[in-house]
Amino acid sequence: MKIKHQLSIFNALSRLLLILVLWLMLPVLVEKVVYDHINKSLLEKKQKFIVHLDKEEINDFIVRKDTSETYSSFSTLHSEFLQLSRVSFNSKKNQTLFITEPRIIEEEKNDYRILQYYFKYENTNYLLEIGNSLSEINDLTFVIRVFFIIVLIMIVVITFIADTFYIEYLLKPFYKIIDTKIRHVNEPDAFDHTPIKTNSADFQELDTVLNQMMDRISELFKKEKQFIANVSHELLTPIALLKNKFENLLQNESLDDEAVDKIVGSLSTLDLLKKVIANLLLISKIENNQYEANEAIDFDAIITDLVTDLQDRIEDKELTFHKKIEHHFSFRGNKTLMHILFYNLIVNAIKYNKPLGTIEIKDGFLNGNYFLSVSDSGIGMDEKQQQKVFKRFARVSSDQEGMGLGLAIVESIAQFHHIAIEIKSQINVGTTFILLFPNERKPN
Amino acid sequence: MKILIVEDNPELALEVREYLCGNGYICKISKNCEEALEEINSNDYDIMLLDLGLPDGSGFDVLKSIRKTGAKVAVIIITAQGELEDRINGLQLGADDYLTKPFALTELGARLFAIIRRMHGFTVNQLDIHGFSLQLQDYKVSYDEVPINLTKKEFDIFQYLVLNKNRVITRLQLTEHIWGDILEVNSDSNFIDVHVRNLRKKLDKHSPIEWFETVRNVGYRINV
Repeated sequence: MKIKHQLSIFNALSRLLLILVLWLMLPVLVEKVVYDHINKSLLEKKQKFIVHLDKEEINDFIVRKDTSETYSSFSTLHSEFLQLSRVSFNSKKNQTLFITEPRIIEEEKNDYRILQYYFKYENTNYLLEIGNSLSEINDLTFVIRVFFIIVLIMIVVITFIADTFYIEYLLKPFYKIIDTKIRHVNEPDAFDHTPIKTNSADFQELDTVLNQMMDRISELFKKEKQFIANVSHELLTPIALLKNKFENLLQNESLDDEAVDKIVGSLSTLDLLKKVIANLLLISKIENNQYEANEAIDFDAIITDLVTDLQDRIEDKELTFHKKIEHHFSFRGNKTLMHILFYNLIVNAIKYNKPLGTIEIKDGFLNGNYFLSVSDSGIGMDEKQQQKVFKRFARVSSDQEGMGLGLAIVESIAQFHHIAIEIKSQINVGTTFILLFPNERKPN
Repeated sequence: MKILIVEDNPELALEVREYLCGNGYICKISKNCEEALEEINSNDYDIMLLDLGLPDGSGFDVLKSIRKTGAKVAVIIITAQGELEDRINGLQLGADDYLTKPFALTELGARLFAIIRRMHGFTVNQLDIHGFSLQLQDYKVSYDEVPINLTKKEFDIFQYLVLNKNRVITRLQLTEHIWGDILEVNSDSNFIDVHVRNLRKKLDKHSPIEWFETVRNVGYRINV
């Protein structure tokens, strides 16, 4: 997952969590604020009422209602009420209490926030109650909550969008670095040294360091190329010289058999040396990207060509050769290298085959990918051998001729062309090499 | 036939010269680009063997300036890299052939023969040996006007041995000549024997071939 997506997801989740917490805490908070406010106004009212209160007034209040020991008054819409009553028992002297409870006023039941004040005046206990209706407040709380949630969601959406765009903007240089530099790390020819425009110091540093690394990589590639050229010249020239000397020496009639044998032995050692160097150089050159890979490859033609060339060896072992190439897969690569790849595979299929065995080359599609397979009916390999078969200088058995570079080269060439190789093998049944080709679109 | 050998390794140059002189060519050696250009401008040469890695530059530079002056000398490039690009480059610049180091002198002999044949407008169309004649243009061999049916490989082997008559040719040399620059180690040597055996059987039907000698452990020789 890309870093910008991860950041966006984190953003969205953290904000949703914030909304949830606020949503749950809102009723408690609102209640607290509202009650504080009501308590304050109730207290003020109580003060106003109490300040001028004297005996006469109390009597005035209560007596007016004759028989009753209580005086009460309320506003028209029952939003507020005031009640003064004589009480016989008074335990909470001069105490102010706040309670919330339902009251019925003129047959209408409502929740009220009520201030209760117990006081004693001229040996008589009184209870003053001032109430404020909560129904309006409750409605208001609900409206506030809805409003609040809408505002929150809007803020979240707006900041989320802003964040996303900002992250995108911030990370743009980063993705550009990946696209133009890191992806081409194996193709020194395609290196792009133009500095990436960015205001973030981190990316500037990353870009600078990457440019330095690319410089070093291309330098190393260049050096390796130079080294390969030098090795070729400095090693192969003396080999050429020795070879010619030995060949001239062979023409000498006076040589005895022993001397001739020694010269021939030396010549074949030289030949081995030459081929080891040539093979190692080939691998180095492939890994150094010194080959072009833009020729159209006709697998059928290459294989037909090779089989004609190897016909005598196939006949010598009396092998049956089947070629079933039914698809025309258009592939661009290096013809010389593909030729070497198939040569090595087919030669192996001949070399490790049993007399009267078979070789089969097939093609087809596997999970949408084109494949070519080379199967033999030879001695096969066990799992251990299969694992090290692509290693340089690895041989299936020590008495086999060759130097164990053939399949290492096959692997190098396959990697160079983004071809995957699979091996299926069973001891004494045979071995199949499957080349899995990349789809038309080059994998990044 | 005058040949200029441009090679910076003196020993190798001398080896090549010894072989070529033994085959009747007149040879001169140049060690670097400068000497080579001087030599080619002051004397007439038919063929130049040009090593690409020279101490004072690339053989390609020599080839370029020679082709600029329009000299008719045939050029065989000798490259250590054996790189396809080098070959294509060289052939595009006007080289006539290339050889990859290390090469067999006999292979050089065969290439020279082909170039000389071309230079002379393919007037040399036939090689004769003990009554057998090789028709080079259509890969046919006949004895006393009776055609002998040879495969391409058998013909190539026969021609190579005839061109290098009186020399022992090793199996390796034949292998390289027939199959080219293969990267595989000595696995084809036995197949050379098979081809040579078939070739000898076919020739022997027409005339005894005691001159087609098998040199024990080494290879073959055609004596004249």
